Amino acid sequence: MNLDRRRFVGSAAGMAAIAGVAADWLWPKHSVSYRRPRSLVAILNAPEYSEKNEALLMEGLQLFRFNLAGKAVLLKPNLVEDLPGPVNTNANIIGAAARCFLRLGAARVVIGEGPGHQRDSELVVQAAGLKPHLADRQIEFVDLNRDELARVKLKANYSGLGELWLPRTVLDSDFVVSMPKVKTHHWAGVTLSLKNMFGIVPGMKYGWPKNMLHWHGIHESILDICATVPIHLVIADGITAMEGNGPLQGTTRELGRIVLANDPVAADATCARLMGFDPLRVQHLSEGGRFLGNLRAERITMLAERIEGPIRPFAVVPEFRYLLARTVL
Amino acid sequence: MDYIGLFKELHRRELPSGGWSFSGSPQMSLETTCLAMFSLLAEQLSSAAHIIRPLLHAQLSDGSWPSFIGDGEPSWTTALAICVLNSAGDSSGARERGLSWLLKTNGREANWFWRWKFKLADRAVRFDPDRYGWPWLPGSASWVIPTAFSVVAIKQFTACSRSELSERRIRRGVDMLLDRVCVGGGWNSGNSVVYGLPLQAHVDVTAIALLALQDEERTPVVKASLGWLKQRSSDIESVESLSWCILSLFVYQEPVEHLKARLATLIGGGRDIRNNATLATAILALKCGEMIHPFEVLR
Repeated sequence: MNLDRRRFVGSAAGMAAIAGVAADWLWPKHSVSYRRPRSLVAILNAPEYSEKNEALLMEGLQLFRFNLAGKAVLLKPNLVEDLPGPVNTNANIIGAAARCFLRLGAARVVIGEGPGHQRDSELVVQAAGLKPHLADRQIEFVDLNRDELARVKLKANYSGLGELWLPRTVLDSDFVVSMPKVKTHHWAGVTLSLKNMFGIVPGMKYGWPKNMLHWHGIHESILDICATVPIHLVIADGITAMEGNGPLQGTTRELGRIVLANDPVAADATCARLMGFDPLRVQHLSEGGRFLGNLRAERITMLAERIEGPIRPFAVVPEFRYLLARTVL
Repeated sequence: MDYIGLFKELHRRELPSGGWSFSGSPQMSLETTCLAMFSLLAEQLSSAAHIIRPLLHAQLSDGSWPSFIGDGEPSWTTALAICVLNSAGDSSGARERGLSWLLKTNGREANWFWRWKFKLADRAVRFDPDRYGWPWLPGSASWVIPTAFSVVAIKQFTACSRSELSERRIRRGVDMLLDRVCVGGGWNSGNSVVYGLPLQAHVDVTAIALLALQDEERTPVVKASLGWLKQRSSDIESVESLSWCILSLFVYQEPVEHLKARLATLIGGGRDIRNNATLATAILALKCGEMIHPFEVLR
């Protein structure tokens, strides 16, 4: 009897596993793959925000040898709230990046963001200190919450959303740069270049916050959005980062790094490692590693600094203690 | 203040097919259109039927309004559209259909299953799921702005004759607003305390929530929120938030002339205000006291 039960349970588990593999094969969850044989990441040491950041960023960008001639570049920073502390991507880094892309031959640089909580984007732009950087007439800020929208079929199906209305400014860009602030996040574990793309989902359709994405699963929505709007480059602001109860109420953590990458999964995996986390334990990263980019360190070429240990892990809310990498626990 | 110049600027931005987009696109936004129509109605009430025609055409078959033309889904802008039709005194029946949709629409936590999930399992955000209001769009939870505008719309439209259902929804909406107030007063989108830590209030949301509570008892929550808004209004440099401050403080009989003067300086001729909704709101704020307030509720 025991043997029969064991055999039954074993057979059922085996069949379930086969069914799972077959379902993935018959009904794949994504129709695109952006993985390349190797991804490039550059960790730049930057102890503080200063005028030197622009030269450093330019040196870093030149390592990637992009051809940006005549391209429309969208910079998507993480501008969330008019709050003090390391909540938003630093305006010096955003402004420096915009000027670097113009110097590298971009025809147009647009800074676009759709804050998830604050409807008054002007207030966020003012508080973030971005206004002086917009003085250059070639650099424009677009409120993605209130842009013209087009209906887009999603190129992955983790969330079940099927389609989303997305801003024209995003869809018409040739080169999308995700510029996250390196932070912990009390719902998603971390908020880096992939999670940052929540900001392209328009509030005028989905509200403030973009609650529909939460109901359909944060990780699942991240995967669907990033499959549909590929990120060409990441510039992660990790000079002053946030740990603990991020993304708004965490505490300041001096990390002293800017992370550049031509692959958002590789960028986020690198940032997660710098934070003392195991990227495989971040749900959207481990799944994103199957088609959005390279997660494993052996498929990432480091162009500048390497991750040097020992790393003091970022504090997290108790629900995300499982993110901590074994080697630093 | 050169109102005529601002009106001309707003008129100049009207789409050829009627209505307004947010900024330069051909896609009519219901929020922007409603705010612009309030301004126009204040100037030309005799042309109300003509002014509101694009709004009536945009109504969906279930009585709701979408957030923009081209979208077939209902949205929170239904409440704003009803407020415009209240101002216009429309008698086409569109308001009744809109109200009917509004009274049927709840935040997702109104469903017992989700209510119990929030009570028992998902308790990171402090709120009482029994007190629900309206969502931004069907299928999401209740949030402060859609609830506040819905409360204003129903209060305005049913001022003379209010059904039990309307009264019940108003009370529940007001309860929801009072429940979601931030520590120290004011409102943000609707998450006042997360993981035990208070989140900051937002100026525009606080102003809009207070509009919904203008005829309610001045409880300590309302007083604290009004105090918070007055204090924040003293240094706000954003046109949109300052405009909502003025519109709200005015209905509480607070002095707003100094705020209007600052707004007039910020807005100038209006040409640098790219967001048409912001321009329209600023015009309403500058005209406050010289026109019927679009969000005033009769006591």
